[in-house]
Amino acid sequence: MRWRLWLLMAPALALLLATFAAPLGHYLWLSTQAQSVLTALKPQPIGAEQWLRLFNDGRFWQDTWQTLRFSAASVSVEMLMGLAVALLLDQPLRGRALLRTISLLPWALPTTVMALGWRWIFNDPYGPINRLLSGLGLAAIPFLSAPSITWIATVGADAWKTTPFVALLLLAGLQTIPADLYEAAALEGATPWQTLRRITLPLLTPYLLIALLFRLAQALGVFDLIQVLTGGGPAGSTESLALYAYLNAMRFLDFGYSATVMLGSFAILLLLCGMAALAWRWSLRWQGGLR
Amino acid sequence: MKRWALLLVALVGSLSLGLWGLAAERIEPVTVLMPAPFAVATRDLVAAFNRSHPHIALSVTRGPMETEAVSDLAISSLLLGNSPYDLLLMDVSWTPKYATAGWLEPLDPWLGPNALADLAPGAELGNAFGGQLWRFPLLADVGLLYWRTDLMEAPPRTPAELVAISRRLQRDGRVAWGYVWQGRQYEGLSCVFLELLHGFGGEWLQDKEPQLDSPAALAAARWMDDLVRTGITPAAVANMGEPETLRVFEAGDAAFMRNWPYAWAELNKPDSPLRGKVAFTTMVSEAGHPHAATQGSWGFSLLAGSKHKAAAVEVLRFLTSADAQKQLNLRWGYTPTRLSVFEDPELLTANPALEDLQKALAAAVLRPLSPVYAQLSDLLYRELNTVITGDRPAPTAMRQLQANSERLLRSSGGPR
Repeated sequence: MRWRLWLLMAPALALLLATFAAPLGHYLWLSTQAQSVLTALKPQPIGAEQWLRLFNDGRFWQDTWQTLRFSAASVSVEMLMGLAVALLLDQPLRGRALLRTISLLPWALPTTVMALGWRWIFNDPYGPINRLLSGLGLAAIPFLSAPSITWIATVGADAWKTTPFVALLLLAGLQTIPADLYEAAALEGATPWQTLRRITLPLLTPYLLIALLFRLAQALGVFDLIQVLTGGGPAGSTESLALYAYLNAMRFLDFGYSATVMLGSFAILLLLCGMAALAWRWSLRWQGGLR
Repeated sequence: MKRWALLLVALVGSLSLGLWGLAAERIEPVTVLMPAPFAVATRDLVAAFNRSHPHIALSVTRGPMETEAVSDLAISSLLLGNSPYDLLLMDVSWTPKYATAGWLEPLDPWLGPNALADLAPGAELGNAFGGQLWRFPLLADVGLLYWRTDLMEAPPRTPAELVAISRRLQRDGRVAWGYVWQGRQYEGLSCVFLELLHGFGGEWLQDKEPQLDSPAALAAARWMDDLVRTGITPAAVANMGEPETLRVFEAGDAAFMRNWPYAWAELNKPDSPLRGKVAFTTMVSEAGHPHAATQGSWGFSLLAGSKHKAAAVEVLRFLTSADAQKQLNLRWGYTPTRLSVFEDPELLTANPALEDLQKALAAAVLRPLSPVYAQLSDLLYRELNTVITGDRPAPTAMRQLQANSERLLRSSGGPR
């Protein structure tokens, strides 16, 4: 009986192995090799040297921090705004279909195009925002030339683009909630706030989790937006781990180290996911204990 | 019935004869990858080549606009092996990397020992590496200092003069800023710095050792820092590339701009507000030190994996010929690399700036020829950008930069 199950799963397993495990295995091997322009791109075994280099590479840790900061900020903003937009679009408004279409537009744009657009919007001194400010007699905002501001600008551009994605997922979730629950709540005299807390949010939780997962995975691997909008600057303050890995592979032709950077960020991700899963389980147990 | 058979024989016979003839003709395909602007500019030349060379089918692949994006495309195809390109139009800073990776075919056996004889002084730099020729230059590019002829009598020749003129013009309200340049965290910043470094009497590498904590290097970094702190250069320069600086200068908001020769054509377009009010010269320098111009030429390299090398070399010869360079200058304003083209009387009357360009080219300085140049430059522009944003004082940054560059070159066994 058991073997038949495995047989049926075999195609899917083979696909997973080929697309996931095989590259990962290759990268693990590559991280023990020196394969760069200086070895004429031929792999030479060097043991754990790349990993030592990674551990001592301040830039890797700085990029790790910056990637986590970007992900946490942009995903939080997107989840909150996405929920708000979804709730709005779920209301029986006039012209709702048109509104839904319009709100999806940012997500439909290619990231590179929209990043170029934001680069112009943020331009100092000729971009529209800074023109407006100077018209009002205010100082220009150095959106893309001050480290403390630029990372927030990247979060803003990312939120503009991907909030519709979250909103769409949550809107689908909202429409699965039976209307009679709301009717019953209304009959019992529940306030809108209570309805949201007791009915909408609990029933929406699976969708919130899915949106969170998708967005986190994407944000942690952010590349194209950063590459076009800031190129990692100013002063390296927006460089992400994916951008660093790309630089090592494509610009520096240092494939051994690039693989190590990728695996290093993968390991950090796994660690974070593991911690989140543990925290989730503990919080459930703790709640269970209270009841 | 018999007539049909005869017809069939005739048909089959003529068909096979035609096929045999086609096979004997053997048209050799040659593909060149170029950045988009050059692919557009060479369109007429490519058509002319295909007309005069019936046995070669030359086609140009239009790459992206941005320099590094072209490199990414070329490298992706080369890594997969079996690259579809025979020739690559390469930026000067890529040559050692590509040659060391084993992707290029040495050109000496193809072009002979006197291949570089006709090149103008400055244009011959950056084509050979490790004793072999890897690239033949199509267009020269050098860093220039643009200045406004309606705002001053003569251009500044020293850093102090540039600052003094800027201050005066800013105080009088003639311009918002004095001097704009490329300060974004990217290759352009390394080009800007290299000119200043030489102008203050320094060098990037000397005997394969980085010299970035030398007094000259520190003075150059300090000067950049001071320009921003004193408001002669806008703080936004920390995110400016070539197009952004050109926009500020073209709007009349700055008295000086550092840029490449393409800006000359842009500034003299019929609808340009600065038409006839601009001139260029070489970068300022301290007394006794050279007015340096970073060389950024483009040239063709033959790929080692090409299956049509002889035909590709024929294409290379045609596209870099004096005739082709003359046409590219007349029609598109591209700076030639051949001395005979610089001295062409017809061109000199059509494009009087050519003489100044030749002078600037003669002042050309080269970025270090090293297979790890991309890393060296990445260290440099990243660190300098932290000085420009004001996040790190110049002495600290330069010490850090020197240490990082030393470590890089040590771990890679020094530039070969």
